[in-house]
Amino acid sequence: MRYLIKNGNIIDPARRIATVGNILIEDGKVSQLFDLADLNMTAEPTGEVEVINARGSIVAPGFIDLHTYLGEPGEEHRETIESATQAAARGGFTTLCAMPATQPAIDSAGTARYVREIARQRGAVRVDLIGAITQGRSGERLTEMAELAEAGCVAFSDAGHTVSDPAVMRNALSYAAMLNLPVMAHCEDTRLTKGWAMHEGTISTRLGLQGYPSSAEEVMIARDIALAELTGAHIHICHVSTAGGVALIRNAKERGIRVTAEVTPYHLTLSDRWVLGSLAQSTPPTGPAPAPEGKKRKRAKKSEPGLGLPSWFDPTLLPPYDSSTRVNPPLRSEEDVEALLEGLRDGTIDAIATNHMPQSMVEKDVEYRLAAPGISSLETALGLMLSLVHRAEIDLVDMVAKLTEGPASVLDRTPATLRPGAVADIVIFDTDQTWMVDPKDFASKGRNTPLAGQQLKGQVMMTMVGGEIAFRRGNFGVGTGMLRQASKLEGILDDADKD
Amino acid sequence: MPAKNTTTVPAPEAAPRRRHVLDLDDFSAAEIAEVLETTASMKEVLGRSIKQVPALRGKNVVNMFFEDSTRTRISFELAARSLSANVVSMSAKGSSVEKGESLMDTMRTLQALGADVIVMRHSEAGAPYFLAQHFHGSILNAGDGRHAHPTQGLLDLFTIQERFGRIEGLKVVIVGDILHSRVARSDLWGLTKMGAQVTLCAPPTLLGPTAFWLATWPDVTITSNLDEAIAGADVVMTLRLQKERQQAGLLPSLREYNRLFAITPERMAKAAPEAIVMHPGPMNEGVEIMPEVAVSSQSVIETQVTNGVAVRMALLYRLAGE
Repeated sequence: MRYLIKNGNIIDPARRIATVGNILIEDGKVSQLFDLADLNMTAEPTGEVEVINARGSIVAPGFIDLHTYLGEPGEEHRETIESATQAAARGGFTTLCAMPATQPAIDSAGTARYVREIARQRGAVRVDLIGAITQGRSGERLTEMAELAEAGCVAFSDAGHTVSDPAVMRNALSYAAMLNLPVMAHCEDTRLTKGWAMHEGTISTRLGLQGYPSSAEEVMIARDIALAELTGAHIHICHVSTAGGVALIRNAKERGIRVTAEVTPYHLTLSDRWVLGSLAQSTPPTGPAPAPEGKKRKRAKKSEPGLGLPSWFDPTLLPPYDSSTRVNPPLRSEEDVEALLEGLRDGTIDAIATNHMPQSMVEKDVEYRLAAPGISSLETALGLMLSLVHRAEIDLVDMVAKLTEGPASVLDRTPATLRPGAVADIVIFDTDQTWMVDPKDFASKGRNTPLAGQQLKGQVMMTMVGGEIAFRRGNFGVGTGMLRQASKLEGILDDADKD
Repeated sequence: MPAKNTTTVPAPEAAPRRRHVLDLDDFSAAEIAEVLETTASMKEVLGRSIKQVPALRGKNVVNMFFEDSTRTRISFELAARSLSANVVSMSAKGSSVEKGESLMDTMRTLQALGADVIVMRHSEAGAPYFLAQHFHGSILNAGDGRHAHPTQGLLDLFTIQERFGRIEGLKVVIVGDILHSRVARSDLWGLTKMGAQVTLCAPPTLLGPTAFWLATWPDVTITSNLDEAIAGADVVMTLRLQKERQQAGLLPSLREYNRLFAITPERMAKAAPEAIVMHPGPMNEGVEIMPEVAVSSQSVIETQVTNGVAVRMALLYRLAGE
């Protein structure tokens, strides 16, 4: 099938392009890209082609998620490869990196091949595999990493488990360096987090919940950076959540150590106040005092009436102790959120990763601390990230880069791009489409999200994988004959519409 | 045709009835004062030879205790019976919970059996909030994890008010394992709302960073020096030290804890002349409190126990009384 995506706002961070134009897709690849600012654009395609009108929407390379939990094999009641990849397509992701936290773990070439095969048959999007660092993710004996790599694993991680023994971690890093693949570290010193329920701070103290101190993450990040320096390996820090963690990574990068990092959309937008739920109404924010004039970048006010900007989301829609807010690492303080944003802006953090962790009601409808951690986050990732764009916290092109180019660079890949000849993995999203999060509408089996009932602004309209439509919202893009006001640029667009 | 000059007078709006008692954070000072007033009349009932009124006749009160506490359970049972409610008590030991039934399941069963009020004790902070989302009746928190113990907080306030005739302006020292104490948290809400000056005194390992406390209760004073804290205090409230804290490495030894943080006669001598000593019980005499202090004329520990029944009656009445 051939498709012509017309008049979209094309953003291709890998080529530093942001323009209005048309994209022709043939044989699963980007065949041509017409920049409408360029007047020499007579080469309209002829023959049978489906025209998709993307006027007003952003057209970008498909998003890559470095950190997804599939649930299959072994925990199909939480998620299946089919449901996870459909959720991914709805979220604009065309590639998922599946964490090996399955039953059994992806710790042998056999399991890896099995999962790849299911994903090939039933996956709506591409699935890449991350192999376990240690057998059974137990932190003791290394897996056959070379065989895992031969079976298609693109990185190694014990996914949700820390390799506690530093000697084992050192060996894992050395070995992975031989294969030139990254080790993705879940950084948590579990001796400091025993019995944890939430982030340790003001709110855990008030609520009487056992805390997960920031330092439990930071000591492990520091250790893993030191071991990466020792071995020359590539360490990737998963879901960094603390200000101290960002500082350690920034410092390591300055020293030239091969370290990359990811952050989740929810750690960038939600804080531990969410555990207070409706009690947050009566509690003043705990964030830092505003910086003196001129010192900080200007940003949109939190809720400017009339602009239709999404305000900060409203934690008071939840009851106190709502287990949908329980996640590992926990939602951190507002100071941490600020530091994560700063890390994203200055390049310390390379990629956005969803840490999509579907859980069933059985795991969540229990006492707070006993609830399984995790947020089902593939389908809300873009909306959360765009809330940062709408509030002028980050730039739209940068956001797309952190969802495409950034994760690709972590995996040492050719960056996802819309260059002619590239595989047509494409997302089309509307930055202004407002919608209410209703977990019942999720494609994911995991309905566990603290965002139920919140308004998000920005929605995926279409996702294309290898030149085929994996998800399309309603009749998006059908019909091109709308009347439009003329302007200089519009005149050019209308000319292009005549065929 | 309606007659002229008739105006409809709306019925006076009754104050919305409180549905649950989960913590004291959502009580205003006025509501606390009201509860203390009701408590006084309930205490009068307890002083009669027939200690029963029909206020809750026909209501079903279920004591759902997922954590052992014979004293608190008996106190709640007596309170409900004194109001003529039907009372059943269940404890997690040997119950469906041990068979792996979820809290939600247990609650649904109790609801189907006709429970009007669930009095709940649970080792997990926030568990009563979870039930309150789903239960059609009222939840009365009898202590959840290290979070809240609102009836203990109110009985402490009642005991102080009974003794001094006021709470405002009194200097109150809470000493001991603040970090793990639900009593301390509920007392903090209650005492600060009623205008007491509160000092928290604990070793840093049983407190955590002071900024975490000051963010919620900005007017309290925090120290690890008991001798300074106790000087001139009107109320000295000590908390039970669980001996497991030493195993967990939070204390070098009970001996050292006793030396630094126990309430001794010598220390009480530094407090205000009319000062009282309080303890939520059960006591580790010789650890956090010396036996001679516990039985001294300054001790109101037994009065606290009596007042506990009256406070629980007052709250049950507010939740389920006609």
